[in-house]
Amino acid sequence: MPDLTQTSARLGVLAIALLAGDAGLAEDARSGSDDAVVVSAMRNPVRKSYKKMIDGAALFEQRRSELAPAAALRFKLIPRKPDTSMKGVELKVEADSIAIPLRVAPDQTFTIERNRTALRENADVMPNRREGTMTWRADVRTPGLPPHTRRLGDLRLECEVGMKAGLISNYPRGFWGWLDELIALKPEYCKRAAPRYLFFADHPIFSVTLVHGERREVLPVDMLYAGATRDPEWKKDKYCDCEALFDHAYFVPLGDASWPDDTRVELEYMGPNS
Amino acid sequence: MRLLLIACALLAGCATPPPPKPAAAPSLREISSALSVGSSTKSEVRAALGEGTVVNFDSGYEVWVYRQPSEELVLLFEPSGILSKTRVR
Repeated sequence: MPDLTQTSARLGVLAIALLAGDAGLAEDARSGSDDAVVVSAMRNPVRKSYKKMIDGAALFEQRRSELAPAAALRFKLIPRKPDTSMKGVELKVEADSIAIPLRVAPDQTFTIERNRTALRENADVMPNRREGTMTWRADVRTPGLPPHTRRLGDLRLECEVGMKAGLISNYPRGFWGWLDELIALKPEYCKRAAPRYLFFADHPIFSVTLVHGERREVLPVDMLYAGATRDPEWKKDKYCDCEALFDHAYFVPLGDASWPDDTRVELEYMGPNS
Repeated sequence: MRLLLIACALLAGCATPPPPKPAAAPSLREISSALSVGSSTKSEVRAALGEGTVVNFDSGYEVWVYRQPSEELVLLFEPSGILSKTRVR
């Protein structure tokens, strides 16, 4: 016969967790002794369209031979708020009749597979974090590059896939300029000489240099820190998805055809490059 | 002959040497060479260069930027306030 007091307590915990819609509280309920109360619902979770991400992956396959023949595609979760914990992030593809867990690597990257049911039911890709706490990027990497180096063709493809997959969101109106409505969400935007598509380095950056053969060019500081050196109000901007990683953020001249895809993008960090 | 003398005098008047040009302002590259990575402080840099554009980060690091028409000097200060990196573009 179940103990009514214990059962009431369990229900109380469950009700509070549901009302709060708080993952932390739900986690407490999950780990509490032998209660085995599992609460996975979350109010206003981060979510992205599964279909758009699959479209982005398809574009990667289509464009890879031109831009980054040896590269692989992953997607990456990035903290958007300074207090967002990236520890223990769980991710799933969810629709009416299915919920497919995705494996998130320690570097917060993951891959995504095509699933007919998920496409038909217009599934979402959802981590166990609240809306506004995380952002997303495509992660295109050619193996064998020197440390602290990216390849321009990889970044070009990251931008195109990111735009196609709808990973960029919540930029303030006007951030992209007058082309906001026309091209902001299309991969063609990446072919502009200096699109404002933000990349994030692994550490805070001091300098970004393009290198191809004998040619070297340090990017102007305006292309670092989301352009903060030209905008004294930058710290008040709560819309940019770089809010937590301003010091990691940089633009590159993706559409400048004078820099080939094999151009190395060398990153010098604020701290030691080790 | 008199006209020739007047013409010479007029031409000589035009040949008065111009006043000396003011010394050219030092370039940002020259200025940066006078700074000491690892020891220059913010107040020393401010005294030498004036106020730049400052970007401060939550980590405590600060980036100071000075611009001239064809040059850009970027300075990085550690959270301790000591200059840790410079670059001129």
